[in-house]
Amino acid sequence: MSTRHILLGLLAGGPSHGYDLKRRHDEHFPQARPLAYGQVYTTLQRLVRDSLAEVEGTDSDGGPERTLYRLTEEGSREVATWAGQVTPPAPFVTNEIFAKVVVAILTDGDPAAHLLAQRAAHMERMRELTALKTAPGSGLATVLSADYALNHLDADLRWMTTTQARLTTLTAQTVEVDRS
Amino acid sequence: MRTDLRLAWLLVRGSDRWEWWRIALTVAGAMCATGLGLAAAVLASVHGQYRFSFGNGLLDHPGERSGVIVTLLLLLVPVLGLLGQCARIGAVHRDRRMAVLRLAGAEPGRVRRIAALETGLACLLGSALATAGAAAVLTAVWEQPTAAAWAGIALVAVCVPVLGTAAVVLALRRVVASPLGWVRRSHPRSGRGPGLLFVGGLLVVGVAALGAVAGTSVDSNYAGPGTGPLIVCAVVLAVGAGAVWLTGALSRLTGRLLAARTGSPAVLIAAERLRDDPWAAARTHAAVLLVTVVGTGFVGVRQALLAHLETMDGSYGFAQDAAFYTTGLNLTAAAIALALAIILTALAVGTAESVATRRRGLAAQVAAGVPRRVLARALLLETALPLAPAVLVAGTGGLAIGIWYGHLAGDGGWPMPYTALPVPAGVYATCLLTAAASLPLLRRSVRPAELRYV
Amino acid sequence: MSNRPVPLLVARDLVKSHDRTPALRGAALELGEGEIVAVTGTSGSGKSTLLHCLAGIVRPDGGSVTYAGKRVDTLPEHRLSELRRTDFGVVFQFGQLIPELTAVDNVALPLMLAGTARGAAQEQAGAWLERFGVRKQEAARPGELSGGQAQRVALARALVTGPRVVFADEPTGALDSLASEQVMTALVGAAREAGAAVLLITHDAQVAAYADREVRLQDGVTVGSGVLA
Repeated sequence: MSTRHILLGLLAGGPSHGYDLKRRHDEHFPQARPLAYGQVYTTLQRLVRDSLAEVEGTDSDGGPERTLYRLTEEGSREVATWAGQVTPPAPFVTNEIFAKVVVAILTDGDPAAHLLAQRAAHMERMRELTALKTAPGSGLATVLSADYALNHLDADLRWMTTTQARLTTLTAQTVEVDRS
Repeated sequence: MRTDLRLAWLLVRGSDRWEWWRIALTVAGAMCATGLGLAAAVLASVHGQYRFSFGNGLLDHPGERSGVIVTLLLLLVPVLGLLGQCARIGAVHRDRRMAVLRLAGAEPGRVRRIAALETGLACLLGSALATAGAAAVLTAVWEQPTAAAWAGIALVAVCVPVLGTAAVVLALRRVVASPLGWVRRSHPRSGRGPGLLFVGGLLVVGVAALGAVAGTSVDSNYAGPGTGPLIVCAVVLAVGAGAVWLTGALSRLTGRLLAARTGSPAVLIAAERLRDDPWAAARTHAAVLLVTVVGTGFVGVRQALLAHLETMDGSYGFAQDAAFYTTGLNLTAAAIALALAIILTALAVGTAESVATRRRGLAAQVAAGVPRRVLARALLLETALPLAPAVLVAGTGGLAIGIWYGHLAGDGGWPMPYTALPVPAGVYATCLLTAAASLPLLRRSVRPAELRYV
Repeated sequence: MSNRPVPLLVARDLVKSHDRTPALRGAALELGEGEIVAVTGTSGSGKSTLLHCLAGIVRPDGGSVTYAGKRVDTLPEHRLSELRRTDFGVVFQFGQLIPELTAVDNVALPLMLAGTARGAAQEQAGAWLERFGVRKQEAARPGELSGGQAQRVALARALVTGPRVVFADEPTGALDSLASEQVMTALVGAAREAGAAVLLITHDAQVAAYADREVRLQDGVTVGSGVLA
């Protein structure tokens, strides 16, 4: 997912300046990391360089001068193509937990204890997210973002549970592969 | 067919305790039915005057003999009721199993065949046992049974399993329709009111009575062959159907009235169950009512007849021996007692089945803190509530018969058959005792272990 | 950690076998006043048996269960039954509603058992149904309710007597994720408001995340934070 395309999408609604774009981004995606101003401006400059957006003008009603940006034809095409594209299912997921389990086996550590501790950390985060989504007054955007994260953490947990159940076999195989 | 047979056998062999109970009771019921049928068939094979070495001459004349045969055949009614009740044991479990078979790709006809084979085999076993016993008794008491007697025996022995199988196929015609039967959430109602049967029975009574009247007017000595038994059968059918309708309607009414007003949890549970499915118990209860009418009426008739015999002793040319009458009365009493016993068995089976089917739900109630005695009281009330007014009506009917007979037999007075008064109360009490007998089952089957699969 | 809740329900060294299959082999657990604890574990790890022992539905073969400072596992059956009626509420996956009673009567039943008059009991029951958004279904029988509605009626039945502990055994086991979210939000919200403790049995981490902490069962033994520090 790129900030570039999201900004293009936000611009599709009409000309806007950097500060507005940042504010709208943070409202629509409450669980994403808030955008930094600097990142917004460098991305906008790149969009102009690639002729996906252009400067509409500047206005300064009393305050500091602000640049208005708007989408070019090419920019609208680009954002439509991006939004229509199916997101490729990730073929391989970099799995740090698995790597740590294997290393723990190789270094005579305690992979079971590691998985248990990891489970506790995951559960802690899931409790935070659940509290966030059930807090009175949280909007649907928050609930859906929290749900997305919860489902991914849940998937991790299920993977950890089955891995825990197969640790003995995994240990044996890992040791054997390492020896040969 | 061989695979069906094998499947049926595998299913029976792998079944739980309840299924074995059902099979054992079906075998017993089939034995009863075959026994009664065989006795009737053997008696029917005898023509004209015949000297029997037992029964105080009651079986010697064709007239009385046909009466005995009709009584034997009438006893088949409660036996069939018992068999029907047995088929309900484990019905939920069986429905589910059949639906699974359907899901696995078995055609409806095949599933029905497998189920029919299960019951058919049980009936065949019961029939074979009863026939073997009857043949042994027959050769012992009758030096040379006629060929007709043997033919009758063979016919009955074959008919019972065939009829039993046919009855199962008939009963299951709706069950196997859907392969997804087991997901059904709301439990099935047990059929609609027997209104049609009631009207049909009344019609038969009317036609037969007209025929009888017409017959007697033509020839006052001979009321046409078979009209008497036909009237009796039709009356029994009509009274039976009427009793089912009455108990069903009373159940629903009691349920609705009590459910709306009661403040007692036990009464509320019982009343809502009655309102929800008033016909469930109505069939067994109807048989109870029938036996109440017949029993009360009989005791009244007996009192009048015995009084009559005392006053008339020897003065008329009735029979040389009062034992002729008392034997007849005692045999009838035995038949009624047998009918009551069979009906009580059916009642016990019904109550036990009701507990067994709901044991998971009941276990959950107990786990939630509903005291067992509330559930036990609800179970008893389910029998007691609708039965009380119905037995009262039936007892009154029976008393009326007794008074009417006493009026005819006596000197024009209206004697009160006091001996008949305890009969309805006795029947009611035995029914409650029978229902109470299933309470230990409630204690045993409502265990937290049932919750493990909830 | 600071201000740990006072333990209300304490289980120590619980041992329980079904026939000869061991279900619990020394499980320990503490449930604080008003605390929501999730017990998780794979199928057959002894979760339900643990709940049954704690709720006084079955007696453990060994170990002790203490509720509000008093031993529970040695109480006679009628006292246990009374305790479950007055101090505990239970919610199962399904089956705790009487199929012949209407939703409102099902909820009113525990109150009637405690001696409340029918009318007053129905009124209170109606208020609980309202709270869980199933007031419209009060005249329906359990067979006519959707899974989520039936579970919310079951919650109302468990909470109507104002229990101090609610035992929930896979309360969302038969529900889809949206219905499950509604039931869990209703359960946790009502329990927090009433100050009731909840012992939640589940195999679903997303459901367990509604709890304050997780106790994990493995082969009949509690691992992790079964006992308060």
